[in-house]
Order: sequence, then C-alpha cells, then structure tokens
Amino acid sequence: MKQIDEGEIIGRVLGGDREAFSALVDAYKGPVYRLAFRMTGSAQDADDLTQETFLRAFQSLGRFRAGERFFPWLYTVSLNVIRNHLRRANALQEESARNEASEAADPRNNPAEAAIGREQGLRLQGYLLRLPIPVREALVLRFYEGLSFEDIASVTGETLSSAKMKIYRGLEKIRLMMEADGFAASE
Amino acid sequence: MKETDIERIVEQLSGKEGDFSIAADDSPEESIRWRELDGIARMMRDEPAVEAPSGLEDRVMARVRAHRTSLWKALGEALLRPRTASFDPIKALRSPVSGEECSFYFIMVGAFYAVLSILLMIGFHMMGTTLAPPGWVHWQPLVALITAAVLIAVGLYLIRDGRMAARIARIGTLFYLGFVIINGIAIRLDWNIPISVYFAIIAITIGLLTGIFLIGMIHNYGKKYANV
Repeated sequence: MKQIDEGEIIGRVLGGDREAFSALVDAYKGPVYRLAFRMTGSAQDADDLTQETFLRAFQSLGRFRAGERFFPWLYTVSLNVIRNHLRRANALQEESARNEASEAADPRNNPAEAAIGREQGLRLQGYLLRLPIPVREALVLRFYEGLSFEDIASVTGETLSSAKMKIYRGLEKIRLMMEADGFAASE
Repeated sequence: MKETDIERIVEQLSGKEGDFSIAADDSPEESIRWRELDGIARMMRDEPAVEAPSGLEDRVMARVRAHRTSLWKALGEALLRPRTASFDPIKALRSPVSGEECSFYFIMVGAFYAVLSILLMIGFHMMGTTLAPPGWVHWQPLVALITAAVLIAVGLYLIRDGRMAARIARIGTLFYLGFVIINGIAIRLDWNIPISVYFAIIAITIGLLTGIFLIGMIHNYGKKYANV
C-alpha cells in the first residue's frame, strides 16, 4: 500500500476535487475487495460491494473526523455495506459460493501447490460462509486481514472481549464442521 | 475454562508459537483442541491474498464522477458533519480563527436575533391595538427575524471555509453594522415616547457590540487568506 497523506487528500476531496479521491481508492481497493470477497464468497459481489463502499465513503466523507485513522473508518463503512447486502441476499448458498469463489485469481504460481491450496482455501471459505455474519466478520478481519483485536472492536463497534469471544466461537464452529466432514484442522 | 482464559489463548492463536499451557492445565484433550483451532487460524492467515480485479479503480471513479448530491442531502451532510468549536470570544478576537468557529459565532448571533424576534412578536401582541407601536417599530420583529436569517445563512456559508465566504461575511457584517445604527435612529424618530430612547439605545448597543465582535473575528479569519 502506498504511503499517502490521507488528511490532505480528504481535505482536497471535501474542497471539491473529486479526482483526488482516486488516491484513496488506489490505496484501499485491495483490502476492501478482499473483505467483501471473504464475506460473500463471490468475486462479482465483492466487485459491486467495493464500488458501493467507496461511493458511500465518498458521500459521507464529510462526517469523517479529522485526526481519525481512515482505514478503520472505511472498514466500518464497508462492513455496513456488506451487512446490508448479506441481509438482502439472505439465502446465500454454500455451493454457489464455492463456485463463485473459484472466479478469484489465485496468486500462487506452482500449479500443484495451487491445486492443494485452492481446495483448502475453498473449503475454508465454504465453512466461513456458514457462520453467522458477526462471527464471520471477526474471523475475516483477524486472520485474513490481520487486524489487531483493538481495531476489530473499533470497526465492528463491539467490546474487545466480545470480539475475542466471537473469534473463538467462529474457530470452534469451523473445527466442528471440519470434524463432521472428516477433515483434520491441521490439513 | 474461564472466559478470561479463553480470551488470553485466543490472543495467541496463529501467533508464532502459541502458548496453550493454560488449556493443558485443564486436560490434554483441551490442549489438542486449542492446537486444532490454532491450525484453522493459521490456514486462514496463510491463505494468499485475493487480488482486486483490474479496472476496479476506474469503475469506482466513474461512479464517483457521475454521483450528484441532492440539495437536501448536501445540506444535511453539511449540518451533520462533526465539528469542534470552542466558545471563547476573546480568543476569536486575538488569534486566527477557523471558518467553523466563525460560522459558530455568526449562527449564535443569528439565534439571538431569532429569539429576540419571537419575544418582540409576543410583546407587541400583548400590547394590543391601542398601545401598538407605530410604523417602523411595528416591523421590528420581522426586522429581527430577517437579521437572524441572514446571519445564520452567512454562518452556514462560512462552513465552506473559503476566501469568498470570508468576503461575503465581511461585507454582510459591515452592512449589519450600518443597519443597526440606522434602525436605532429610525426607532427613536418614529416612536415618539420617552421609552423609545432606551429601546433605540439598547438596539444600537447590542448591534454595535455583536457587529464589532463579528468584524474583528472576520478580520482574524481573513488573515488566513491574506497571502493566498
């Protein structure tokens, strides 16, 4: 991610320079897309939700408090957009999610490793999609996005303790699902 | 296992070397279970990052460029935007102030005139038709209301924090200063009873004090743009 002066860019956008917003999009499109992809399991949905997130952020940039860190604020906007989408598309099927997940580009170069890793990744993605949305959010933010517990609590609006317990419950549920499917967690 | 212990172990999950000794104190099975949870966490962490598709930035920017904000939404955004303004009139006269602080004081003076307008309306209504003041004095509630509306409008415009806003605020305040003096004199001339002197003096004093304060503050605000 490029080092950018977010405060200065936000000031320019608020002053009417819309093109300045592209620097923020460029810097954060990856994390926002990844979050949407892990939450929905669909490359197409992730693309749409990323666009929607940035548009929503642009519209409400005036409410962003100067001095605040931009990326947790953007993650909060993104999670709200994703939650609304998931509520609307209530019946998200695991199978369709698995199929959709294969649309995403796999960055591994070795085909054999890619095949194994891909299957494991898809399996994990499938389990993830079977979890309740708040639990899924906590796991994605912690393990896929590498956020600290403090940041997770701030982004999701929960207490630190609650965020940790959600992560624990999420992992435990996945462990049980894997066990039921005959997979070892260390696979 | 206690919730606090669970939280402590969760912090270790997918770390470099998880410390599951607390879990091991309970039972070996518990320790194995925690290692399995750690394995799941590690699998997630080791998953290669999914890359954003090409052209995503262009698609986002196309929507941003095409976006049009409705007047009401823009007004709502402007009013709901969080701001910090300290109530320190002395500081506002001595050191450079931000557009938001200027805006705050203009709106405050505007609000004062809005309240004054309501009080005058009630007062004149209670005086009845026999004691009703003549011509120009009779219009004072409306004059106060218009003054309030103009000051609040200038205050809202100052939120934009720009050179044009400063210029309009300065012209508006000079006009306001001139108007309060003329208005006070007109009240005295039009309302020929002893009390009208006090009424006129109070109106002029309030107008001059607030006007001089606003013009001093705008002067400090304008310094920001002096070298632009």
